Amino acid sequence: MADFVQLVILGLLAGGIYVAVGVGFGLVWGVLNIVNLSHGALVIIGGYITWQLFSALHIDPFLTLPVDAVALFVFGYLLQRGLINRIIRAPLLFTFLLTFGVNLVIVNILLLIFGSDFRSVTPSYSGQGIELGPIVIPYVSLFSLAVAIALSAALAFILNRTRIGLAINAIAADRDAAQLVGIDLRHAYAVTFGLGAACAGVAGGLIAMIQAITPTAGEPYTLQAFVVVILGGLGRVSATVVGGLAFGLVEAFGQSIPGSGSVFANAIAFGLMVLVLVTRPQGLLGRLR
Amino acid sequence: MITRHQLTRLIRGFEMRKWALLAVAALAVVACGTSSSSGPTTGSTITLGAPLGLTGSLTKESTLTKQGYDLWLDWINAKGGIVVNNVKHPVTIKYYDDTSNANQSAVLMQKLITEDKANFLLGPYGSAATATDAAIAEQNAIPMVEANGAAQSIFNQGYKYTFGVLSPANKYLQGVIDLALTLTPRPASVAMLSADDNFSLEVANAVVAYATTKGMSVAVFKKYKNGTTNLTAEVQAAKAVNPDIVLNSGHLQEAIAINKAAKEQKLNAKLFAYSVGPSTPDFIAALGKDANFVFDGSQWTPQVKYTPAFYLTVAQYVAAYKAKYPGLGDPDYHVAESTAACLALERAIENAGSLDPKKVRDALAGLDVTVFFGQVKFDARGINIYKPMVVEQIQDGVHHTVYPQDIADAKPMYPTPAWDQR
Amino acid sequence: MIARAASIDRWRRLFVIVGAILVAYALLAPITSLDAAQSANVPLLADRLWFRIATIIAMFVVMATAWNIIGGITGYAAFGNVAFFGIGAYTTGMLVAKAKWPFLVALPLAPVVAAAFAALVGLPLLRLRGHYFAVASLGVGVAVGELVQNIDYNGQPVFGGASGLFLPIFAIDNRGLFFFYLMVAVAAVAIAVTWRVLRSRFGYGLIAIRENEEAAAVLGVNTTAYKVAAFALAAALTGLAGGIFSQWNVFINQDNAFPIEYNVQMILMALLGGTGTVFGPAAGAVLLQLLIQFLGGSLPISVDIPFVSVDARPIVAQVILGVLLVVVVIFVPRGVIDFFGGSSRLSWSYLRQSLRETSL
Repeated sequence: MADFVQLVILGLLAGGIYVAVGVGFGLVWGVLNIVNLSHGALVIIGGYITWQLFSALHIDPFLTLPVDAVALFVFGYLLQRGLINRIIRAPLLFTFLLTFGVNLVIVNILLLIFGSDFRSVTPSYSGQGIELGPIVIPYVSLFSLAVAIALSAALAFILNRTRIGLAINAIAADRDAAQLVGIDLRHAYAVTFGLGAACAGVAGGLIAMIQAITPTAGEPYTLQAFVVVILGGLGRVSATVVGGLAFGLVEAFGQSIPGSGSVFANAIAFGLMVLVLVTRPQGLLGRLR
Repeated sequence: MITRHQLTRLIRGFEMRKWALLAVAALAVVACGTSSSSGPTTGSTITLGAPLGLTGSLTKESTLTKQGYDLWLDWINAKGGIVVNNVKHPVTIKYYDDTSNANQSAVLMQKLITEDKANFLLGPYGSAATATDAAIAEQNAIPMVEANGAAQSIFNQGYKYTFGVLSPANKYLQGVIDLALTLTPRPASVAMLSADDNFSLEVANAVVAYATTKGMSVAVFKKYKNGTTNLTAEVQAAKAVNPDIVLNSGHLQEAIAINKAAKEQKLNAKLFAYSVGPSTPDFIAALGKDANFVFDGSQWTPQVKYTPAFYLTVAQYVAAYKAKYPGLGDPDYHVAESTAACLALERAIENAGSLDPKKVRDALAGLDVTVFFGQVKFDARGINIYKPMVVEQIQDGVHHTVYPQDIADAKPMYPTPAWDQR
Repeated sequence: MIARAASIDRWRRLFVIVGAILVAYALLAPITSLDAAQSANVPLLADRLWFRIATIIAMFVVMATAWNIIGGITGYAAFGNVAFFGIGAYTTGMLVAKAKWPFLVALPLAPVVAAAFAALVGLPLLRLRGHYFAVASLGVGVAVGELVQNIDYNGQPVFGGASGLFLPIFAIDNRGLFFFYLMVAVAAVAIAVTWRVLRSRFGYGLIAIRENEEAAAVLGVNTTAYKVAAFALAAALTGLAGGIFSQWNVFINQDNAFPIEYNVQMILMALLGGTGTVFGPAAGAVLLQLLIQFLGGSLPISVDIPFVSVDARPIVAQVILGVLLVVVVIFVPRGVIDFFGGSSRLSWSYLRQSLRETSL
């Protein structure tokens, strides 16, 4: 029983990272209809900012997260305004290709700047945790989960309670109608992408504390973001939160299969995604649009 | 509307342009198809070549490989080159970026052979690229000496032109078991965690079999997806059986993940040993104090004591590395084994007394020489089963060689203290 | 007006002529490598490097052209076609390496197995639309690769496991020439199939599905059957390329038989050349592969990147590749075929026009 509880806790804690990674990806996909293949690269930019601030200035990594968010927001805003806005009316697949090119550029510029060494952020409290009998809850994972939930809540607040958020929602509902009522589409699109990138940056800061990063370390996260967003359902922040936590649980239980079972964790996750798509395309929690 | 006259002129102009364009295209095509022929080989430069992942996911390891090749290149050219029948041949190494993609590695191998007229080949990084390139070397009958593909499956294909200077995968963690048998209190149970790539699985299967023959019990054997960054559930499974030894067979990323999870989950084994990872400075940088007490099986360490027949001693090698690559610390074993591949090739060319690929291949097959890296000698399949692996331990943030005893520079720190008592 | 039309027509003719000459050259150059030609002192126009690059290009021509059938003509953005490539490679690989079948007997089963698999997963998947179908097919692609590597039976890997499969080196003279012509033949079949499909009732049905699936159904098109057939056709061609790849490359494993980046590359090629056309994806495949090989330094002609240290050059080459992709996607959204012989030609106004059409 304690094992089971521990596994659930571990899955939820790991899910925090997936929530953080998925929430920005889902926003950009759901609202702008852009599948951002450079999402993982944006995540890793955030990771390197946190690493740089931690290793050079000894700033606590959790305090660097706002810097990640602001820097990536600006970057994402400019990326959308300068490049991606130019192909919004092209067929759907073009966003795949454009962001694939952007991904190649970002990853290799990171390689030029930081080299290929594995970088990792290890604060003094890394590896420590709360012990409840046999159950251990590591601080870093716990804080990461809290940050991911707070990030999602902040995003939901922006989307539902602010002027720009209402504009973004209007775009998601009907782009042309939104333009008719006077919404500056170029700006609103760029803000949306910027918000998605900011979430990616925060996720990257968290990831730098959990694993060692290299310029190519973001690519698996792009794939995982697909699964997280589909599991939860496109179009709502809360759905992505559920999707991320569900993905963490699936992974933890997949890994706990005895013997060689855990090598199938990926196959199980992607198979589950396909199953959800085929049987319930709106996701576990989502609504059809 | 244009006149008929203008139209004729336009067409005529176009015809001229068309023929000019065709001529240019034809020239370009001929330039593409033909290849430049190389001059006579005696006294000429020896060209070696290697495709490496200078971008993409294997950049770190490929960079270390290139450092190893380049260290030797500087040394041999400072001497004037490889001596073949009293003629000195300077050496160049051509590198290409295979973007960490095995299929592209094969293209570039062929480019090296066909276009660059590479006399001999050095290996790429990684087992997949090495397997693909071994088939290319075989079909072109050009020897390839490689230092970074330890999976034995490559060498079980009957290929005649591929030679690996490194100890095969099945040896990686055996030394740790041998070491463990000398320790008190003697460890009795093993938890084995392994990534699912071919190299890691060969390492894991071999050490599990070996530990069993030495009377240890393998309490749990778990495989995980190569590249997994969160291995907490695996560590949980190990903790559940309370093992004396925790072995991991994977790569740097997974070794860091296992160690982090072991601390978080208070997995207190007497001995932690990982195949690849702890030997790199990145491991210590990533984990700080928590890297201490970790053992690893290593192809080579800066403390080994071999008496080289030629080239540098171990101490000179370490000094040469630090002079060429300041700020990177001691050379990692990936660097050393890559240099050793060059040395094997150099000595085989000298022994063959020829640049003929077939003769050099035969010389490689008969090679038996000890260098700073250890004994280099190939079995019938072409892999070096004669050099022992060594066991390292990180003690107070520094790598020390702890096994075999005759080359050790420190005693193993054992048993590993519990996480909350460090 | 006439002048403009006439000049466009001439441009188109020029490109067709140049293209035909280049294709003819590519097809005939290998003959110079035969012993008979060499002993007659014919200059060698195709060496082993030429064969390796040309075979890879032909392989991508097959994959991009096959993708076009489902992605371009039918409008279903398949993002996991590499699964069919891998299934084809492993079908042939298993039969040759484990069952010791002769390669040419094993090869025909590659497209059969790939098509059967596509039909199986296509039935549920093709009910999805747009991004959902793309992501689901990606999921299938990833999952299949993982399963092939990891399935054990009685502790033994069924499909060679992590060690992959080694096939015996195919014993034939002029091996490079053989595999090149084999792959080119499949490429020709893929293009011919596309041509035929576009002129058939089946093809009209697929285009109707792309333009408006509900309307197509109302008009009496059996949309499910048509979509599944298109998916299986694409899978068969891709699987055939995979089957040849396994024997040509000698070694296959999850990394080189199921490379996720090929999913992106084949789509990129089809879009670059022009989706829905007969020759567009093939042209895109040739252009993009030549660009990748050029920047990777494997072509005989290469250009040094100035102002950059030797160590940084490969990295900068990748950055350049990324920038070129971005530029092409932004400025040429209808594919290169469109101005190399289509209804318009390359000019500033064309680029401005494209940008205006797709910009927000």
